[in-house]
Amino acid sequence: MPQIRILEDRLISQIAAGEVVERPASVVKELVENSIDAGAHDVSIELESGGKRRVVVSDDGRGMDADDALLAFDRHATSKIVEFDDLEQVATLGFRGEALASIAAVSRVELRTATSPGDGTLVRIEGGRVKRAEPIAHPQGTRLEIASLFFNVPARRKFVKRPQTELRRALEVVQGYALAHPEVRFTLRHEGRALLETIPTRDDGVGIRERIAQVFGAPLSRNLVEIPLDFITEEEAITGFVGNQQTTRGRRLFVFVNRRLVRDRAVLASFYRAVREEWKSDDYPALFLFLDVEPREVDVNVHPQKAEVRFRDPTFVDRVGTALRATLAAARGEEPAPLRVPRGMPQVQAAWEGLGGRQVDEAGRQEAWRPIASGSPSSGTTSSPTLSAIGTPTGPQRDSSLAVESAPGEVREPAAAYPPFGSSGRIAQPTWKPEEPRMVPLSGRSGEARPFRILGQYKGTMILLEGPDGLYLIDQHVAHERLLYERVRRSLHAERSTSQTLLTPMLLELGQSEALRLEELAAALEPCGFVLSPMSGGAIALTAIPTVLSIDEAEAILQKLATSSEELDGQGLRQKLLDTLAASLACQAAVKMHHPMTLDKMERLVSELFKAEQPYACPHGRPVVLVMGDVELERRFGRR
Amino acid sequence: MDISLSRLEFLNEIVPMQGVVERRTTIPVLSHILLRATDDRLHIAATDLEVSLTSWCASKVKEEGAIAIQAKKLLEIVRASSGDELSLRIEQEGVLTILVGKSLFRIRGLPADEFPTLPNIEGEKPVRIPFQTFRGMVTKVFYAISSEESRFQLSGALLEFRKEGLVLVATDGHRLALVESSVKGIDEADGLLVPRKALQELQRFEGEEMNFRHSDHHLSFTVGRRQLICRILEGTFPDYERVISKDNDRQVVVDRQQLAAVINRVGLLTGDRARAIRMELEAGTLVFSAANPDLGEAREEIGCDYAGESLSLGINPDYFGHFLSVTDTEKVRLELKDENSQCVAYPVDGLEQRYVCVIMPIRL
Repeated sequence: MPQIRILEDRLISQIAAGEVVERPASVVKELVENSIDAGAHDVSIELESGGKRRVVVSDDGRGMDADDALLAFDRHATSKIVEFDDLEQVATLGFRGEALASIAAVSRVELRTATSPGDGTLVRIEGGRVKRAEPIAHPQGTRLEIASLFFNVPARRKFVKRPQTELRRALEVVQGYALAHPEVRFTLRHEGRALLETIPTRDDGVGIRERIAQVFGAPLSRNLVEIPLDFITEEEAITGFVGNQQTTRGRRLFVFVNRRLVRDRAVLASFYRAVREEWKSDDYPALFLFLDVEPREVDVNVHPQKAEVRFRDPTFVDRVGTALRATLAAARGEEPAPLRVPRGMPQVQAAWEGLGGRQVDEAGRQEAWRPIASGSPSSGTTSSPTLSAIGTPTGPQRDSSLAVESAPGEVREPAAAYPPFGSSGRIAQPTWKPEEPRMVPLSGRSGEARPFRILGQYKGTMILLEGPDGLYLIDQHVAHERLLYERVRRSLHAERSTSQTLLTPMLLELGQSEALRLEELAAALEPCGFVLSPMSGGAIALTAIPTVLSIDEAEAILQKLATSSEELDGQGLRQKLLDTLAASLACQAAVKMHHPMTLDKMERLVSELFKAEQPYACPHGRPVVLVMGDVELERRFGRR
Repeated sequence: MDISLSRLEFLNEIVPMQGVVERRTTIPVLSHILLRATDDRLHIAATDLEVSLTSWCASKVKEEGAIAIQAKKLLEIVRASSGDELSLRIEQEGVLTILVGKSLFRIRGLPADEFPTLPNIEGEKPVRIPFQTFRGMVTKVFYAISSEESRFQLSGALLEFRKEGLVLVATDGHRLALVESSVKGIDEADGLLVPRKALQELQRFEGEEMNFRHSDHHLSFTVGRRQLICRILEGTFPDYERVISKDNDRQVVVDRQQLAAVINRVGLLTGDRARAIRMELEAGTLVFSAANPDLGEAREEIGCDYAGESLSLGINPDYFGHFLSVTDTEKVRLELKDENSQCVAYPVDGLEQRYVCVIMPIRL
């Protein structure tokens, strides 16, 4: 008996369904796209059990006649393209002709459609087989009901998550289309509860801003800056909105290519880069970006779910970056200063002692030579430690002593390279311990380590440093905050969180999708000290909060978490929360502005700062260090 | 205005005004005290629009008049002066002349008509409350009033007149303090929310009897010549009787001062922000311990009359400390249930009809 067989058509459909239909949200996506492609002005979505039990999408679009209604479920049946060349200029959202066939293969489908009021068709399909087809009365438009998704694919069913999770994903899908099509009315109901209702508005900047307000609330839309209209040409248009710094709390990033919501890595990467460059920050603001290009200029046929796209013109993404940078600069609301954040973090080994003034310099020298003397048996009874060091021609000792003797600007070997002391010798045992080698990040030319010198304190607020390539300014509050943050974070990660039970639960009133998200995270939040339980109508009751937080701070953190779109598991969530806690604690404890510091304290702060994991940005993303380069200074004084 | 009055009497009345005036205000007149001479009195008033305080001093009035003077400066001058008699005059528009002993001050003031009109609720029927009792009640709940001002917190205490007596309750969401005294003969349906600042100022008053009045939006407390008027706080106070657990079946009675000392000592080894110590109740002993990865550990035990099952829970030492420091009995009783349920603390044989402090546990 031959082992290789041609698969049955139905099985092919079921397998292929996996590519297009992963979960209820994918069904919603496909059906809503069809509705929009059919020219609908009113699309309504109803879900049961997060869409696992039932998804109903009805619209007032063109509808289908009796023949089309049946043909629609055939694989690669589509009204949207006819020949290959059409693929070059797909203007509709769907085109592959796979969606309905795939969905029908794995569910029970009921289609009611009519091209004119009254004259309609009903088709029922179960697991890919037509069970019924008959004329009915139906208003113009199409209503598709998908029940028992994956009823015949148990393996796939296992991957469908809890109803809240599925519901949130479906809601996010619909939100995406609602943003892209402000002229269409969208309604989403879950088991009778309206979760999203939008009113049609104009299809322009004003309309989209209004639609954003309908979906995410007015406060967000007020904090958006529109991309200047300079980026609209005959062939392409880069439009949309970038949030100001108030919008960095939730990660709301939406990119639409020809009104199709995409997750394009190249575009997002150019946004991240633009934020880092323009804002010197890792806190990304909200983004609603609409890229409209000639259909032939973009390949959407890269991915079955069309989430990724490819632009024919490689310079297009650069133009997007330029538009974003211009808007981000406006959203930041300030003129670029001649100061910049040091770029990159080259790590150069160097020592900090002896850089901050005479006294320390002396101490540094003394400390530096003692171990060399005691650690070099060959030096014998020499009374001059410097000589002894020179007397040992090889090994790290020589380099170290050289560093001591030489002018600032030379690399000194780290103290750990010294031979262990305690070996016999006439010189008394040193009382100090060699320190760990220090990594001093320098923004100078590669390999050339030059020490910094503390010049003083400016208005009790900033520390001024003479650096190898310019004048460095360090914000003492932010620098201290950065250090405390790293310390607090380490200790928080090490200990268990304690949690203060509240006398009466605090009610958090959130948007529907936000409440769902917190419900999903509830189990993971508990070990972090937050105990919450869902209530009706999008409210969450908080019954215990981490001891280190006030009730208001706890609320702010949960609000932020609820609006973040990051997918977090238990461990990731804990990390993130602890980081947030650490940042808030550090900020309160850090040295405030206008606090005079002695040279010793400044030295200590600066040297510890340069040992920090990330010395250049505070936990909130503000810069810690600014440099005014020598070149810039000379240029401004007219020397260049 | 041309009056003379006793310096000490005047000083005595302008000192409490300082707590009411706003120091950092955008409305300049709110940092001022209003002085108004009529008949044979100098009327004094201060307000921050939420809480207002009025009083008066006997004085010889030769000519009536009014002016608003910067509160802090006036106090400094009167306090620094020597002499028993003080003359206040307005000889020039907007300038107050103060003559005391051989010193003379001329201070710029603001016109009296810029000073806000204070709410008048004299028409309401007064309720008489023994002031010492009332002040004692305020002290017993004041610490539980939240100092955070946000939409979740009520920065005030609930005053309720019940048939059984007068009740004052405060909570900050982590703990609740309730005190009830047998002031009878008053019947009022609804509770009134008194702002924190008003209660704070009232604690400084002296007197035998307090006249209490209230209108739809304001409360007035009159003790002697001083009258404090405040706005009634808006907000819903939690249903406190339901919040206080009645089925905490594990009870222990301990010496109050000893408990306070032990909790204070063990509490030394808690962090600044995450204040939590462990309380373990075992047969015959009550053990307190604290462990802090940055600092170290502490442990101390107290003998007690407990004979039930062991129980362990986390608590904030400050919350206990506040309760113990305002309680005046020799012993206190703690009622517990399990590690996730509240600890309810009572004085044993207290003077009040009822005093209870509910402390929510910390999950360690």
